[in-house]
Amino acid sequence: MAEFVNVLAVGLLLGGIYSLISVGLNLIFGVIRIVNFAQGEFVMLGMYGAFAAKMALGLDPYLAVGIVVPSLFVLGAVIYRMILMPLQGEAMMQVFATFGLLMVLQNVILALTRGTTYSVNSALSTMSVTVGPVQIGLVRLIVLVAATAVTIALGWYLKTSLQGKAIRAVAQDRKAALLMGIDVERTYMISFGIGTALAGLAGCLLSPLYSMSPQIGINFIMPAFAVVVLGGLGSVGGAYAGGFIVGMTEAIAGFYLDPALKHAVLFMVFIVALLVRPAGLFGHAGAQEVGLREQS
Amino acid sequence: MSLTRRQFGAISAATFMAGMPRASAQNAPIKIGAVNPYSGGMAQYGDEVTRGFELAVDWVNAQGGVIGRSVEIVRGNATSAQEGIAAVEQLVGRDKVDILVGTYVTAISNAASESALNYNKLYWETNALARDLTDRGLPNYARSGPSSNEFAKRSVEGALELVAAKLGKAPKDLKIWMEHEDSAYGTSIVKEQERLFKEAGLTTGIGSHSARAIDVTDSILRAKNANPDLWMSTAYVTDTNLLLRAARDQGFKPPAIMLLGVGDTVETLEALGKDFLEGILLVSYPRPDVNPKFGPGAADYLKAYRAKYSRDPIAPQSMNAFVGIKILYEAIKIAGSIEYEKVIKAAASLDKPLGTYEAGYGAKFDAKMQNSRALPVVAQWQGGAVKAVYPKEAAAEGVSIVNLPRS
Repeated sequence: MAEFVNVLAVGLLLGGIYSLISVGLNLIFGVIRIVNFAQGEFVMLGMYGAFAAKMALGLDPYLAVGIVVPSLFVLGAVIYRMILMPLQGEAMMQVFATFGLLMVLQNVILALTRGTTYSVNSALSTMSVTVGPVQIGLVRLIVLVAATAVTIALGWYLKTSLQGKAIRAVAQDRKAALLMGIDVERTYMISFGIGTALAGLAGCLLSPLYSMSPQIGINFIMPAFAVVVLGGLGSVGGAYAGGFIVGMTEAIAGFYLDPALKHAVLFMVFIVALLVRPAGLFGHAGAQEVGLREQS
Repeated sequence: MSLTRRQFGAISAATFMAGMPRASAQNAPIKIGAVNPYSGGMAQYGDEVTRGFELAVDWVNAQGGVIGRSVEIVRGNATSAQEGIAAVEQLVGRDKVDILVGTYVTAISNAASESALNYNKLYWETNALARDLTDRGLPNYARSGPSSNEFAKRSVEGALELVAAKLGKAPKDLKIWMEHEDSAYGTSIVKEQERLFKEAGLTTGIGSHSARAIDVTDSILRAKNANPDLWMSTAYVTDTNLLLRAARDQGFKPPAIMLLGVGDTVETLEALGKDFLEGILLVSYPRPDVNPKFGPGAADYLKAYRAKYSRDPIAPQSMNAFVGIKILYEAIKIAGSIEYEKVIKAAASLDKPLGTYEAGYGAKFDAKMQNSRALPVVAQWQGGAVKAVYPKEAAAEGVSIVNLPRS
């Protein structure tokens, strides 16, 4: 029993990591209808940002959030304005552009680091909490708490703030929102900025957990796509729940079956979920039709 | 037959001209094409291996070269197997290299060496690990450094002789868990380890993971459940660090930990810190800190490295590469030529005892042209530094095993 509880705890904590990474990805998809392949690279930039802040200013990765998150918001907004906005109406081209962005960001960091692996430790890195038979690393627990807080905060922002309502309006019907006087392009730019900033937040909080390499973003993005599809495309709460489904599936399959098979099991669950419920567990019917909504 | 003065002059000039390029080729430098990744994610180690080549070139040129010719290194960048083929074509076609050497990556070595054979060029391998490379029996191919099998062999020796003794157990009573990343690299080494342990009468637990996994706690929990005396891991840098972090978070504290191939650089030290790493064993290329009786000249190598690059070696791969090129010089000297058939034949005749070179290697090539006297060492993290501890002769004076069993 203790063993099973431990495996569940591992799945829960892993779910927190996936949720944190996926919530920004799902916001971008839900509002702008772009499958952003570069989201993992934004997480990677967040990690390197935390490393740079440590090197330059001696900041703990948790304090680096104050610099990295706003920087990535600005970067996201600029990328949207310079690259994605000119491709408005060309849904597939936007997807290809994000793939190009992935390659650019990865290779720029490769050129800067020459492939050297860096690590950044926090004062909390070595601390752990013991609850009954379960030992939990504090850094992972912080990620879980942050994922929950971000999901609640984002949901609250979208529901109650004027800008949040504008984002929801644009997500629901771009043309109607435009007719109601909402600046749609600005809303897209802000949404992409928020999605990128959330990836930056994930990068900072995950940096004490991983040794960073320029290719690490790719490792995050594949399961993150499974998370958003399972949870529901465009649903913030769905990304949160999807993270736990993926985390639990991986932990249980990895421990009881074979760690080498856990991704095979995960993507089998993913395919079955797609067949049974194409819009995901919390998504709206039709949300899966990427790019079919008129963008012009 | 009599020649006019004009005919004589023409013949003399033609003879002189014909002789010119020949004489010049005989005195021209031997150009060695160094095929390695110099860009992208593997550049750090590609550069490091080539630093070893460059130091070997400086060393031989300071002695007047080899077979009367100086030596030059020309770099050929290859980050993939396809680029390996292109690099060989460019090095041979454009840069006119005489010999090709490499390589930090097995897949690149595999493709580049076959391409070299198309040009009738020797491919002298110093660093790629997979045993399959020599098992192909390519006629232009020899490996001077250890293969994956030697790493597996040394790790098993270290477990049975060193770890068992330190834990106060009979070797056959050791409980061992072998973790590996699930590509050909990790799988091939673990397969050989399993065979050797089986020969010694031991049954081991085996776990595998993807090197790209976001989380490896499941792998650690499986190992923890097995309660091993010795946890061994063959993986890459990032997943090794992730495994060790997960072990720390999960309170998995086996009495002995042994890492193969990686975990011996500052990348792991920065990730885990010296306190956690204290006492962790490493199967690694010999480093310049080996006992001077085991690796004569290793200290001079370190001095030369520091003088040329104004820093300490990033990893022990460079000294392995340096020694590999020195063995190549021996073969060229015996062959008196750089033609691959002659050099391979000469290399096959080498019989240098262990302890001849800086890394403690000797030179005795088997039928597949694998140097059977190139063996890694078991080292250990001690106070934030890596020290060779096994075989005993490799340990520097005053170095002994610490923190085993690990506290």
